[in-house]
Amino acid sequence: MIPPSSSAVPLLEAEGLTRAFDDGQVQALRGVDFSIQEGEFIAITGPSGCGKSTLLQLLGLLDQPTSGTLLYRGDSLPALRDPAAYRASEIGFIFQAFHLLPTFTAAENVQIPMFGTGRSLSERRERAAELLKLVGLEDRSDHFPSKLSGGERQRVAIARSLANEPALLLADEPTGNLDSKNAHLILDLIVRLQQEHGRTMVMVTHDPSIAERAGRILHMMDGKVVSDKPSPRTGS
Amino acid sequence: MTFLTVVIRGLLRRPVRTCLTLAGISIGIAAVVALVGMSRGFEKGWQVGLKARGTDLVVSSRGGSLTPKPFNASIRDQIARLPGIAATCNLLVQVTSVEDSDLMILSAREWGGFSWSNLKLVTGRMPQSGEEQAVVLGQTAADILKKKVGDPIQIETAELKVVGIVKGGALVEDGSVIMSLALLQKILASPDQINAIDVRVTPGTNEKQLQILIQQIQRQVPEVRAVSVADHLSNSEGFRMVRAMTWGTSLLAVLVGVLGVMNTMLMTVFERTHEICVLLAVGWKRSRIIQMVLYESALLGFFGGVIGVTIGALGVRALGETPALRGLLQPDLGFPLLALSVLIAVAVGVFSGLYPAWRSSRLAPSQALQAG
Ligand SMILES: Nc1ncnc2c1ncn2[C@@H]1O[C@H](COP(=O)(O)OP(=O)(O)OP(=O)(O)O)[C@@H](O)[C@H]1O
Ligand SMILES: [Mg+2]
Repeated sequence: MIPPSSSAVPLLEAEGLTRAFDDGQVQALRGVDFSIQEGEFIAITGPSGCGKSTLLQLLGLLDQPTSGTLLYRGDSLPALRDPAAYRASEIGFIFQAFHLLPTFTAAENVQIPMFGTGRSLSERRERAAELLKLVGLEDRSDHFPSKLSGGERQRVAIARSLANEPALLLADEPTGNLDSKNAHLILDLIVRLQQEHGRTMVMVTHDPSIAERAGRILHMMDGKVVSDKPSPRTGS
Repeated sequence: MTFLTVVIRGLLRRPVRTCLTLAGISIGIAAVVALVGMSRGFEKGWQVGLKARGTDLVVSSRGGSLTPKPFNASIRDQIARLPGIAATCNLLVQVTSVEDSDLMILSAREWGGFSWSNLKLVTGRMPQSGEEQAVVLGQTAADILKKKVGDPIQIETAELKVVGIVKGGALVEDGSVIMSLALLQKILASPDQINAIDVRVTPGTNEKQLQILIQQIQRQVPEVRAVSVADHLSNSEGFRMVRAMTWGTSLLAVLVGVLGVMNTMLMTVFERTHEICVLLAVGWKRSRIIQMVLYESALLGFFGGVIGVTIGALGVRALGETPALRGLLQPDLGFPLLALSVLIAVAVGVFSGLYPAWRSSRLAPSQALQAG
């Protein structure tokens, strides 16, 4: 399923990924094959329970596949010696429920992933301020999450996901908890970030109109990818 | 934001619980400081007292408690005959109630013995003879009994007179009622009864010779026990028991502290499952999570220790000032004890955090992050 246009080593390549829960009683993924080229913007759609979140967690190494292979720039991922380093430097996660830490301010939440990456205290601070400015929240940096609106929280979470300049952004229903106005704002921000820097992005959504903003749409059903085609809007 | 900020933020998350935990540890550490400080102060007080009398060896009956059992004064003659002994002085020492004070040291000394010679008069005079119905008081004892020179004083069944106030150069001396041995024996109707002999050896005797001399005394008079002043207290069964109880109680207090911190840290880890999963998801290593939990519990221990040491030290000071214990107790609250106590508290913190830290590092990041 590698797009014919590409010949370079894919950023990420999945082959026969399965994930079973509860001793095989639940088959969340039943053999997923696809690959992601650097710079691509992929939307994953499908009905509830088809395994979208499960797949995203495998890609981000938050979870381990039951079987199958996952290659990152040609190297096997599940066998990776240091999954924490991979999560810290290669992956940026954006969740539907934001998952900010309630006891830390917006700026501090953005700094959290930078611990252990060799950045100094002032570098961490500067970078957090920069990122908050990027998402338009420079005047909210000392606010705690409880004092922010849903849209603002998601913007802080987006800033956090960019903290270590990850190669791959994974977003799981990033607008799922937002009203339509904020959903559009966040989506515009994500599209802008993707396009401006040519970032690689995988976004899970059940909303077809949101999926159309991506360059490529994977449709999943019952633990499998059933269609993989360019978005109608972008064409190919 | 530094890593320490992250750790402190964790502790401030539940301020009431953190304070309660701190209270738990600090009470335990305060108990350690108070008990150890008091028992050591007690020992030191006696030791300095013996040294100030110019005593090298103390002979007392075997199996003695704080005040040893009486024995016959003739034993002294057998000891005085041994080579290397410069002087001896018979004593009858009791801890007893005198008038309003329940705990007073009554130190009766052989008239003319060397144990009198280190006393310095502050006011009044010394007794004129071993038979005069008179006592001298150490300064602290005079304070406690509220006596001055010329006042009558009731000792057991006899009414005597305070003729002088003295300075002994040691806490025990200053807290004692000092009188002639013959006089006390007469009052108690127990002639020839003593319970200790102060022994001064010939000058220049070294530690090894002292030990040989002790063995000789032991062989000569098996019913008593001779110890050098340095060893005197460590060998006393009374003090050994006090020390064992002190450390036993301290251990218990520390154990309670361990359980308190462990409970708190476990609860913290459980209720922060979500946060820990987020930290793992954004790339924190498991070792860093462990470090965070251990730092938190170590910090709890440290602050608990500092507070506990402060409370304990102030408490012992205050106890030492109470009428019942004044003069008996010179709290030994040296820096080593205080530092050791804080160290114990930090160790308690780290130890208590081990299991919670291990638990926290076992979490799977996907566990708490399902959309919702
Ligand atoms: N930890 C788990 N234990 C047991 N079953 C699980 C677990 N996680 C997911 N599942 C099951 O795996 C299947 C796929 O779940 P997943 O969360 O990937 O679906 P999804 O496509 O993200 O759905 P939604 O659109 O509702 O978010 C579901 O049937 C779900 O119940
Ligand atoms: Mg989902």
